[in-house]
Amino acid sequence: MSETRTPLVEMRGISVAFGGLKAVDDASVDLYAGEVVGLVGHNGAGKSTLIKVLSGAIGRDSGEILISGQPAAIHNPREAKNYGIETIYQTLALAENIDAASNMFLGREIVTRWGTLDDVAMEAATREVMGRLNPNFRRFKNPVRTLSGGQRQSVAIARAIHFNARILIMDEPTAALGPAETEQVRDLIRQLKKEGIGIFLISHDIHDVFDLSDRVTVMKNGRIVGTVNKAEVTTDDILSMIIAGTLPSALARRMTQEA
Amino acid sequence: MRKLLAALLPAVALAIAASHASAQTVGVSWNNFQEERWKTDEAAIKAALEKAGAKYISSDAQSSASKQLTDIENLISQGAEVLIVLAQDAEAVQPAVQKALDAGIPVIGYDRLIENPKAFYITFDNKEVGRMQAREVQKVKPEGNYIFIKGNSADPNADFVHSGQLEVLKDAMDAGKIKNVGEAYTDNWDPAIAQRNTEQFLTANNNKVDAVVASNDGMAGGAVAALAAQGLAGQVAVSGQDGDHAALNRVALGTQTVSVWKDARELGKAAGETAVLLAKGTAIDAVPGAVKFSGGPKGVEMNSIFLAPIPITKDNLNVVLEAGWIPKATLCQGVPAGKVAVCD
Amino acid sequence: MADIATTQGTAAAGDQSRRRALMNFLQATEIDTRLLGMIGALAVIWIGFHIFSGGVFLTPRNLWNLSVQTASIAVMATGMVLVIVSRNIDLSVGSMLGFIGMIMASVQAELLPQYLGFDHPLTWAITLAIGIALGALIGAAQGAVIAYLGVPAFIVTLGGLLIWRGAAWWVAFGRTIAPLDSNFQLIGGGSRGSIGELASWIVGLVACAGIVLLIANGRRQRRRFRFPLRPMWAELTLAVVGCAAVLGAVAVINSYPMPVGLARQYAEANNIPWPEGGLFIPLGIAIPVLLALGAGIVMTFIATRTRFGRYVFAIGGNPEAAELAGVNTRWIILKVFMLMGMLCAISAAISTARLNAGTNSLGTLDELYTIAAAVIGGASLGGGIGTVAGAILGALVMQSLQSGMVLMGIPSPLQNIVVGVVLVLAVWLDGLYRKRIT
Repeated sequence: MSETRTPLVEMRGISVAFGGLKAVDDASVDLYAGEVVGLVGHNGAGKSTLIKVLSGAIGRDSGEILISGQPAAIHNPREAKNYGIETIYQTLALAENIDAASNMFLGREIVTRWGTLDDVAMEAATREVMGRLNPNFRRFKNPVRTLSGGQRQSVAIARAIHFNARILIMDEPTAALGPAETEQVRDLIRQLKKEGIGIFLISHDIHDVFDLSDRVTVMKNGRIVGTVNKAEVTTDDILSMIIAGTLPSALARRMTQEA
Repeated sequence: MRKLLAALLPAVALAIAASHASAQTVGVSWNNFQEERWKTDEAAIKAALEKAGAKYISSDAQSSASKQLTDIENLISQGAEVLIVLAQDAEAVQPAVQKALDAGIPVIGYDRLIENPKAFYITFDNKEVGRMQAREVQKVKPEGNYIFIKGNSADPNADFVHSGQLEVLKDAMDAGKIKNVGEAYTDNWDPAIAQRNTEQFLTANNNKVDAVVASNDGMAGGAVAALAAQGLAGQVAVSGQDGDHAALNRVALGTQTVSVWKDARELGKAAGETAVLLAKGTAIDAVPGAVKFSGGPKGVEMNSIFLAPIPITKDNLNVVLEAGWIPKATLCQGVPAGKVAVCD
Repeated sequence: MADIATTQGTAAAGDQSRRRALMNFLQATEIDTRLLGMIGALAVIWIGFHIFSGGVFLTPRNLWNLSVQTASIAVMATGMVLVIVSRNIDLSVGSMLGFIGMIMASVQAELLPQYLGFDHPLTWAITLAIGIALGALIGAAQGAVIAYLGVPAFIVTLGGLLIWRGAAWWVAFGRTIAPLDSNFQLIGGGSRGSIGELASWIVGLVACAGIVLLIANGRRQRRRFRFPLRPMWAELTLAVVGCAAVLGAVAVINSYPMPVGLARQYAEANNIPWPEGGLFIPLGIAIPVLLALGAGIVMTFIATRTRFGRYVFAIGGNPEAAELAGVNTRWIILKVFMLMGMLCAISAAISTARLNAGTNSLGTLDELYTIAAAVIGGASLGGGIGTVAGAILGALVMQSLQSGMVLMGIPSPLQNIVVGVVLVLAVWLDGLYRKRIT
């Protein structure tokens, strides 16, 4: 039930306000190594905002982040990556005018001993990673603009896993994919779990979340409604949490009994 | 204390009213301060106005005809009693000029013709400038291939100057002694464009060019730079106008034949004095020294004052020195000893 | 009947195989077809003008002049490409050129002579250094307002256009400053500002060696990771064609001799007897042209081989992606404008040296020609796309048009119309080409 080992990531009391509006209000979540925590809720519930705090894209107004039990200073994306946090954004965050290898290594380029870009080394590494993810991919020198949605997704994923992520954030990873590619992503997630990587998975597809997650955190209006073990709930429970914003009574009783 | 103020107040008010009554407000609408000479004109106008106790207000149209219309309206609303206008575009400025005239404000066209019978025209005889340029060049090169580097196509002065040049050269050109092997208008009188055009004309004629009739000193500078690149500077006659310091130096060095000098101080002084007269109520045909002029494109008869330009060549450089127009060091920079009398 | 069908069939097949051979050639050599298209257009323009100008355009003399006339805009265009790629624009380059030019003229003709006397051997270097520093400062200032204060580049540089043009007048209150230091004048080309025949051949050989080394290095790099290599014949073809083009250009440049008057002076100065048919002394590559080529090489290197260049392109493609990747986008933008300012200073040196005078109207409208050059060269105003080589070619196209039209005696208002029409046409064709290949 409750773990005695240290969580890989712990976010405590995070609050983020834009103007007068609280996008995230005193939210606390945690993530253990080798598990997938699904993050669900309405549009505008604060899921993406909360996760952007972890990835360094947005600053927080209050609260703290602990990585493996130690307080972590995450003020920008570079610092987040130093902690092994990699993100696959909903928009993929790829620059369409440069090629796959350049996108993979953006901000972390391999340089020669004279400080110039080592394009061939980067291309070689990209070929290697993409070979595992998408063996049919050939267009290494073409700008990303010319790639299909699934191929772009592969590039974004390749970027995330190549740099030895310990914590992976996936924001709607299967939203734009067909069934075959969705299955590939699912396989990848299962593989990464086995390797001990912790994954935050944001998705609006309840069944996807149910299928892949170990635990599910529900958010509504910027607040955490609750975090439940997948094994102990049904999809209907989750749905009612999303809509009503409260734990279903039976569940609440069970949780109070345990506590 | 209060009693003292009460006694003083009417006296002060009277004094202010009196000073307003005697001082004329003269508005000057400049077209563009980028050319070197206009600062000199401004200083001269201001000096003449100060002497007469008149007030000076001005605006700069920055080469925009439409801005000049607004500028003139602004000057009128600021209380100008007479306007001196250096027109950016002689046609486009007419509506504003008419507005001023209708409001009883006399208008002086300064240096550039504004063809309105009720306006006054003060200028150096621009056609004479062209004639002088051509005469001096022809003296040095009576026969041969000529290039004409003309001014800005939208500026009537460019055509006045050129027509003067052609007038003098007509006989020789008709007789075939002088050939026109290249001519071009130059946007904004831009020296860099003049340089490029001269380069191309030299190429097209395989350097067989004997004279470059450039309409002003800035463009003459560009032409001389192009000639120098071909080793022809000093062998080809070059004309100019304005008496720019760099040009006068070139005349001393021998790379420019003539710079037609219009003492802008004289023009500004004449304009300032005439403005004060007109503001005080003198009729435009009663201005001392005024003549009738109908040489404009529309043949409108204008009351005008024409000042005489002076062609400055190697032989009369002392004129600009004695008039205090240019310091000797600037005029004689780089001139080898013994070559030019005034420099020794 | 069958015969006709077969001949038609073979003809069609022949066409097909020729097309495929061309495609194979292009693929094997990996040449950028757009660049080829530009060179083709330039060739058409040159040949056209040669015919219409009565055989004057393609002479060594006119081509030498053309190279010097293009230099100033070409230098600025190399920087404008990066500005446009980063989704910005710089409307102030012409006014910056005017202001920095006036400052440099004033420094060498009025300030330094007070301490060093006239024609001191170091005057030109000090002047140039001051100019480039000033350009960097102004560029950085504009860049800071754009990047850190968030004012759109269009507005900041529009303000700059007005500010620096006004400032140019204030340096000498409208006066023209002339003449300039005799060593500084060399930067503008002209009669003494070229490197001579031998040095030009050396430059050509070095360039040829450079091309061969680049190709060889590219091959070696691919071998490191066992990537597919270009076929040997393609590599050789490229090397040979490249060298031929470079050496051919040098040969053309070296066919333009010193004008007679200058040759005589040169002979006198060097105690060479003057022979019957005159002396043929080639001027060689003009210094401003070397500066433009140097700027092109350096900027191409920066754009394609450095992290800074990569980040500029990434920002142009997707600024948010660049931010999320940890790129310091604001600092990069500031540096882009600072670089632009420094290139303006070099162009200012070329322009003022060429005119042998500092005038406050120098550089008027140059921003438009620079932007046109970059855009004709393939830069997209939406950002993310552009090449330095294309920009230089674009500048060459624009200048060829203008110079050629003067040779033909076309009046200047018509020249402006033609240039405007060509600009729109070029960008439209570029758009069509892009749609076709993606």
